[in-house]
Amino acid sequence: MDHRLVRSTGVEQALLASAQEAPREADLAFERLYRANRDDVYAYVTSILRDRAAAEEVTAAAFERAYRKRSRFDRNRGEPRAWLFGIARNAALDELRRRGRQAELAADPEDLAGASVGESAEQSTRRLALAAALATLEPRERELIALKFFAGLGNAEIAAVIGVSESNAGTKLHRAVTKLREACDGAL
Amino acid sequence: MEPYRDDQFVATLESLRPEPDQEFTAELDELAAEGFPRPERGGMETGWQRLVEWLRQARPGQLALAGGGMAAVAIVLATAAIAGSGGGAGSSRVDTESAASGKSLNGTLSFLNTYGGSAEESGVEASPEAESAPSAAASSEAVSPQVRSGTGPYASGAKHRNVERAAEMTLGTDPSEVGDAAGKVLETVHAYDGIVLNSSVRGGSEGQAGARFELLIPSAKLSDALASFSAIAEVRDRHESSNDITAPTVTTGELLQDSHARIESLLNQLADAETEAEQEAVEAKLHAERRRAADLKSQLTALQRRANLSRVSLRIISGEAPAAAGGGSWNAGDALHDAGHILSVAAGVVIVTAAVLAPIALLVLLALLAQRAWIRGRRERALD
Repeated sequence: MDHRLVRSTGVEQALLASAQEAPREADLAFERLYRANRDDVYAYVTSILRDRAAAEEVTAAAFERAYRKRSRFDRNRGEPRAWLFGIARNAALDELRRRGRQAELAADPEDLAGASVGESAEQSTRRLALAAALATLEPRERELIALKFFAGLGNAEIAAVIGVSESNAGTKLHRAVTKLREACDGAL
Repeated sequence: MEPYRDDQFVATLESLRPEPDQEFTAELDELAAEGFPRPERGGMETGWQRLVEWLRQARPGQLALAGGGMAAVAIVLATAAIAGSGGGAGSSRVDTESAASGKSLNGTLSFLNTYGGSAEESGVEASPEAESAPSAAASSEAVSPQVRSGTGPYASGAKHRNVERAAEMTLGTDPSEVGDAAGKVLETVHAYDGIVLNSSVRGGSEGQAGARFELLIPSAKLSDALASFSAIAEVRDRHESSNDITAPTVTTGELLQDSHARIESLLNQLADAETEAEQEAVEAKLHAERRRAADLKSQLTALQRRANLSRVSLRIISGEAPAAAGGGSWNAGDALHDAGHILSVAAGVVIVTAAVLAPIALLVLLALLAQRAWIRGRRERALD
């Protein structure tokens, strides 16, 4: 009697199919990264460029660059979010430089402070005041605000994105928030 | 209106976050699902474009692997080229040494000491005070006019160079054929008007049977004679050397001319001598000078004979050629030797390559770092 174990054809086919069709780990990781950060990256890039159309182009370009470089990402050298936002930052700054456009020139505060449905008059006033105060910040300060409150990055990730130490990033962020708050309180 | 509370401030700030249009997010999701395809460029991609694209996409490990592979191939090719140009071992070794016309005087003098008289005898030293002696002026005709033309330690001005040549040759054959080979050697010597200084032929078994010849072959026919010797049996070893003896030849000739002039002068003094004492003194000087002239002439003749006749030491041995002679088949020892040679060449190529590439790599690295810093600075300035 033959005691050899013979795998059934169905199981064999299933294993072969899963081996052939299984996406690479890098692809899966990138897909998760994309899903989790698509809107955050757009918000950050829009805050730098202050131009929605340009921000869409740059966001798409940033994700494309990240996709091309996905296999070269080394988790030991930093968090994936910081890596992704670093790419987005470079793309946005390249676009700024290419257009020779400063953030202030493309400012569109009304767009950022659009009224929400059911919002009270006081809330609307506060929103407008904060949006106006945000527009008065320096581009670097506005970038920090965007990374922290629009993209939700931690101080360590912000430090990695802008290329400073974590403590330095915390100090810069604190100054930017204080400045924004003072400007907003003054307007109110 | 009251200032913001902290939670109010953060909540309001977060509510200002720009949100993408649904149309844009749908397009972006579609691109992501397709793997962010590049827009069509129109036309076929060239090989160079594909290479650039690969370089952009490749991981550092892949780049290092590709670079290392190319470097290894280059080193192997260079090693093969250099090692291959070194030549291989033949069935016989021909080692030829030729002394340049400007060979050191020490070498010439040492050769003179061992073969054909000492340096002092060749007239390098100044002549002693001559003694008188009768007649013998006729020997002055032995001096060639050309010897006066050379000057200096190497006689570089001489129109004709006197070059002494010598050769050693070892032939190998079967013990039973040693006798025949020895006979052919003697025939060849006579055919080229050579001289057999001494010879010995011994029969016997392999390794014992052999012959030895000390020959003088006219220098003008030496090459042809050696070629004929080579045809007699297998050449196991061959060594030729040459030595320029123009300088001592010229010097000796000049001293001989001076000696003849002095003899002429002494003969005149002898004819003019009035007293017996004067005649005896001049005759003594004349006698000494004639002896010196005879010595110089002998030396000059020896030097000319050395230039005209080349000494050949010829051996005939029986039995297989020893491995050291390089005449055998390629064996393990040869393989080890060749392997060592190849390794040493490869090591040399690696060292030279590293010496060339290391500074270039350093410059490229510095340039890349500078480029990154410059790009980073330009990007940062965009926010100012």
